[in-house]
Amino acid sequence: MSGKGGVGKSTVTACLADGLTRLGVSTGVLDADLNGPCMARMMGVKDHKPSSQNGAMIAARNAYGVPVMSMDMFLPEDETPLVWEAPSQQGAYTWRSMVEMSALRELLSDTDWGDLDVLLIDLPPGAERFQNLADLLPDLTGAVVVSTASQTAMTVVSRSISMALNIAEVEVVGLVENMSTMVCPECGYKDRVFIGVETVEELARRHGVPYLGAIPFNVGLADFLETGRSYIEMHAEHPAAHAILEVAQRVHFWLKNQSK
Amino acid sequence: MALKSTHGPFDGSMSIVYECPTCSMQTAMLTNRAETQMVRSLGVKIGGRTAPEEPMETLRSNLASGQEVSPERPAPSTGGKCPFTGMVNDAIGAAESEPEKPVWTEGALARIEAIPGYIQPMVKRNVENFALEHGCFEIDEDVMDAVRGRLGI
Ligand SMILES: Nc1ncnc2c1ncn2[C@@H]1O[C@H](COP(=O)(O)OP(=O)(O)OP(=O)(O)O)[C@@H](O)[C@H]1O
Ligand SMILES: [Mg+2]
Repeated sequence: MSGKGGVGKSTVTACLADGLTRLGVSTGVLDADLNGPCMARMMGVKDHKPSSQNGAMIAARNAYGVPVMSMDMFLPEDETPLVWEAPSQQGAYTWRSMVEMSALRELLSDTDWGDLDVLLIDLPPGAERFQNLADLLPDLTGAVVVSTASQTAMTVVSRSISMALNIAEVEVVGLVENMSTMVCPECGYKDRVFIGVETVEELARRHGVPYLGAIPFNVGLADFLETGRSYIEMHAEHPAAHAILEVAQRVHFWLKNQSK
Repeated sequence: MALKSTHGPFDGSMSIVYECPTCSMQTAMLTNRAETQMVRSLGVKIGGRTAPEEPMETLRSNLASGQEVSPERPAPSTGGKCPFTGMVNDAIGAAESEPEKPVWTEGALARIEAIPGYIQPMVKRNVENFALEHGCFEIDEDVMDAVRGRLGI
């Protein structure tokens, strides 16, 4: 989660699935963004058609075996917006959020996930979405928060961390910094994209939550993720692959401490 | 009071009419559109369920028509023995399976009546299809003018 849109929550979810799988953690991915679903595409399973078996929906599995469930798979075309059946779309605001909560509950509980150690849930922007999820899943283990180093994003993210800790009372696994550095593909020169008064690491410290590392802006990352293959395996030498693995190791460490 | 009839659903709301068996006095109950929709969005089945539960039933059965890719949309799983829920479910089921039809104004109907009877149903159907394709839910004389060239009315 982050509260802010477009900071890379979905990208980080896909990367974390890759990293945790490399570390031997059996990981699944649920896309909780019903209106802007993208996890099927980002995990390389966008052509998967849902089918059911033994009273459960079968999750799609990407090239390295991660099960994925997303609203993407229920909409026939990339252009199809999510529209719920209603006698008239005008009065629909009164119940749309109810249908969405029911749909999310079903995506989570009616899917055959196989044996999982961890289920990563990619949230849409908006801090209240996290609150809804926490209501639906009172045993939520923790929240991974994503932010860029933009001061605007950090202001929103800061509020979301407070909300997670104080209102929803969910533990924060840590803060992932995304797209704040850019590595030149030619010479490896590293530059900062945002320069502000506070760094993401300082923001984490201010809230007393772990800083999980920084994933650099990487030109080919989005296209690569759509293949559904492991970035860490295929681009082992790239600084982004090191960064992703480092974030995954810290999350793994946090989870191990949690289960003690 | 005995169940007499149902009207609708129109626009998500419906009325259910009861009649006194001795004096024939009628009372109607009108359902609230927003509340009916809200209860349905929670996956509540009027009259309880008769068919086994399907995975992701609420999600799939609430997707607007034409949106779901597969598997097949779950069949309505309601019914039961209660005459009230049976009647209400029949009315809802009939409304859901019937495609939406545009409404005819008197002027437009008069024009249809002016053409030979044996081709009236076909012309009517063509005009209705034309109207729906163009997003018109009321067929008035302007719509008739628009299809005139195409159908030669
Ligand atoms: N580290 C990165 N390197 C390159 N591109 C990235 C990186 N992180 C994210 N992006 C790109 O930035 C855009 C936004 O990322 P993403 O969709 O993951 O954000 P989000 O926070 O999930 O957005 P939303 O709030 O809409 O759900 C995408 O086009 C994605 O490919
Ligand atoms: Mg996203």
